[in-house]
Amino acid sequence: MNAGNLAMAGSIAAGVRDGSLHARNAVQASLDRIAATDGKVNAFTAVLAERALKHADAVDASPRRARMKLAGVPFAVKNLFDIAGLATLAGSKIERDARPASRDAVLVRRLEAEGAVLVGALNMDEYAYGFTTENTHYGATHNPHDLARISGGSSGGSAAAVAAGQVPLTLGSDTNGSIRVPASLCGTFGLKPTFGRLPRTGSYPFAASLDHLGPFARSVADLALAYDAMQGPDVQDPSCAQRDIETTAGLLTRGAEGLRIGVLGGWFRSKAMPEALAAVDRVAGALGTTRLVEWPEVERARAAAFMVTCGEGGALHLDDLRQRAHDFDPKTRDRFLANALVPAAWVMRAQRVRHWFARRVARSFETVDVVIAAATPCTAPGIGTEWLELDGQKMPARASMGLLTQPVSCIGLPVVSVPLWGLNPAAPHLPIGVQIVAAPWREDLCLRVAAQLEQQGLCSAPVAPGL
Amino acid sequence: MDHAATINATAATLGLKITAEQRPGVEMYFALAAQMAALLDGLPLTPADEPGTVFHPVAPEVGE
Repeated sequence: MNAGNLAMAGSIAAGVRDGSLHARNAVQASLDRIAATDGKVNAFTAVLAERALKHADAVDASPRRARMKLAGVPFAVKNLFDIAGLATLAGSKIERDARPASRDAVLVRRLEAEGAVLVGALNMDEYAYGFTTENTHYGATHNPHDLARISGGSSGGSAAAVAAGQVPLTLGSDTNGSIRVPASLCGTFGLKPTFGRLPRTGSYPFAASLDHLGPFARSVADLALAYDAMQGPDVQDPSCAQRDIETTAGLLTRGAEGLRIGVLGGWFRSKAMPEALAAVDRVAGALGTTRLVEWPEVERARAAAFMVTCGEGGALHLDDLRQRAHDFDPKTRDRFLANALVPAAWVMRAQRVRHWFARRVARSFETVDVVIAAATPCTAPGIGTEWLELDGQKMPARASMGLLTQPVSCIGLPVVSVPLWGLNPAAPHLPIGVQIVAAPWREDLCLRVAAQLEQQGLCSAPVAPGL
Repeated sequence: MDHAATINATAATLGLKITAEQRPGVEMYFALAAQMAALLDGLPLTPADEPGTVFHPVAPEVGE
């Protein structure tokens, strides 16, 4: 049994369950890998060795060990998840002054109830406002596949930790693309479930009516394993749906059999560079589809997500903007200040356009079960890149990373991002993600299609070599 | 829209102080939001097009 950090979550859990591996050894291997690599990657903002080893020992000694689905699996969370005894930083300097969390976030508790072991907290853009994890307070998180490039964001630490083989499983959040963008740029699998599926209790919000939480992993099976363990309602999150658990891990072998699959056109192709289009076309070819699906008014849907984020994010931080604007990251400060000033009428209009768009897109799922689109317009740019040439226009690089994800999360659809390789001739070592999107509550379909693509060898999430 | 006037008036109303260092960035991002607002205004809506947000009443056992 491979006790090392490079093992998948399912493999570690199987070993701990059958006694061929101790949870302590799996966790120690993860801690060793973090110590050996994080000086280069900068994924972690806190490593919880004492807590992790104590919990690992408890898993090893547990009479329930043989039934724990994630027995001994080391995992880490974006530092906007509450961890008992730590201030929840959400990537900020300001929250260092906050009272330490009294208990872990609900999703952390649910994973640990299945035997997973929290080993640390991960870097992110301040208050989740960004797509690059170039955090002024805690440093940039470097892409493990090319350390001079961004990891993506805002859950950059979550993707990089998985890509670096530090842990096989992490959690992040996604308001406008913050799971799918870093998953694409770091070459991991990522799941943004349906809005309202997973409870956000005990996590720091960004824009509450758009915030989702979800997992990153190096295989689809691990993604499903973690997702299944986290499902179930929680009354403390007013946006969490009162839905029964709908497990997915046992459905993956069904693949795409019988599913009607389309390729999103229009905005989703015009805002994609050649490597992104090549990735989508390769997936479409593997799935045997040439069907093009056009959603109406995608640019306005993206504007709606943008505006809701402005209104909710700006209002959330108003007190700190009044009293200590100088303590914000310069990369977010002026945006939050501007956002606090937007008229309510703009935000309410955005919420109405959002609903308009959701109703039209819902109709499109009468003729297809799944649609695909690139997750990012391009492979990872270098750290510090300011501008991109996209669709004949000079575009701000940081904001443009979310152009293809925002219209999808705007209406809460479930998405799995799958990583493909070698499609940028100028940088063949870099990955790029493809979004697999389904109708609300059909995460199972996204995961089934992702599993087939993985099984066909089209997508994979290897640990970055040479770290 | 006169963005500078809106920024000044709204900031004063909310008790926000925009420093000289912050002002160019704030004006740039406010102008971007205004562009998005114009896009949103361009979609014809009817009174039946309700917002995509729903309030959930809180049951007694969940109250604080």
